[in-house]
Amino acid sequence: MLKSLALIAPALIPSWRFFDRITASPRIEVARMAQEDDLATGATGWREFRPRPQSLSLTALLRRLFWNPVWNETLFLTSCAERLLEKPTAHSIDEIASRIAAGLDPRAAEPFFRFRLVLISREGDALQKEVVYVSSPYSVTKG
Amino acid sequence: MADVIASLPVLSFDTAQRVTEILLALAFLQQSAEHLRAAAKERNLFVFRIALCILLLTGMASLWATAGLALLGLLILHRFQGPYNGGSDRMGLLILFCLCLSHAAPSQIWREVALGYLALQLMLSYFISGWVKIVNPDWRSGRALRDVFEFSAYPVCENFRSIATHPRIVFAGSWAVMLFELVFPTTLLHPVALIAGLSIAALFHLANAILFGLNRFFWIWLAAYPSIFWFQQRVFL
Repeated sequence: MLKSLALIAPALIPSWRFFDRITASPRIEVARMAQEDDLATGATGWREFRPRPQSLSLTALLRRLFWNPVWNETLFLTSCAERLLEKPTAHSIDEIASRIAAGLDPRAAEPFFRFRLVLISREGDALQKEVVYVSSPYSVTKG
Repeated sequence: MADVIASLPVLSFDTAQRVTEILLALAFLQQSAEHLRAAAKERNLFVFRIALCILLLTGMASLWATAGLALLGLLILHRFQGPYNGGSDRMGLLILFCLCLSHAAPSQIWREVALGYLALQLMLSYFISGWVKIVNPDWRSGRALRDVFEFSAYPVCENFRSIATHPRIVFAGSWAVMLFELVFPTTLLHPVALIAGLSIAALFHLANAILFGLNRFFWIWLAAYPSIFWFQQRVFL
């Protein structure tokens, strides 16, 4: 009951503090592995999860007004990453891992993966990247 | 001025409530359809929500449809341990609970309080957003909006990040957004001003949908607009 109240209260009494401060932004990166412990000795092959395209046509932008499931899921995973950094929970980790696994080809030669969170922030005029979380290994088929 | 006001159609409580229901149901249908590609447990929640939205669209059992959607909204919050899509989900729930209360309240005055609360929150959604920005030096200098384009997770394509390299554009954009959000409450003083204000607001949400992929915000904020039209006529005219 208390949990339900805590979840619903911000909707009924909203704070409306959209973009009040622009803080460091997490990115999810994924590395596939042939064996479960491949990355134990050093991470290689990290790739950004769902990198944004260089450009989008006007038609694609307008279509996304009505149908934008992948992008909205990516924004949800960014929220999960923020929650994970603020207060790690199994839910946030599982959501990220299972949704990454759902998009990976299970027939590939690398049946395992890890994900990591890279925090991008501004320091003076330069952008800084810092790895702040590396997950346990997951099976592509089990997530 | 009196002629302009007199020529405007009167938006009754019942009409505002019904149009809000229809717009909310359509916005929820759009959102729910995006979850049909998800895993079974998640998909089932949204299949059920689609059914309740169709019931709400018919207008035959609005109280039960909104109550069912509110209960389902709570289950969805538990499923994702919070909102799936941040502010747009919260606005959707706010509209939903206000509509539900506007049907369930024991008297007309309390029904009006429920819809009036939605209108008030819609007004605050702009004003508070403007206030929290203008008290921040990074927003006043344009730096914050530059950061949004430069490294936040929101720009939908790499080309949009280049907007950050145009300091005059981000400075002008920052002040345009802040000033619009701050003066929005004054649009309640005149019906033409409110139409203009909501038109600009809708364009603002459209720009956010195009630049940052926040399509759900666009549709769900539109769903709250009838309440503020009714509220203006009820309180200010």
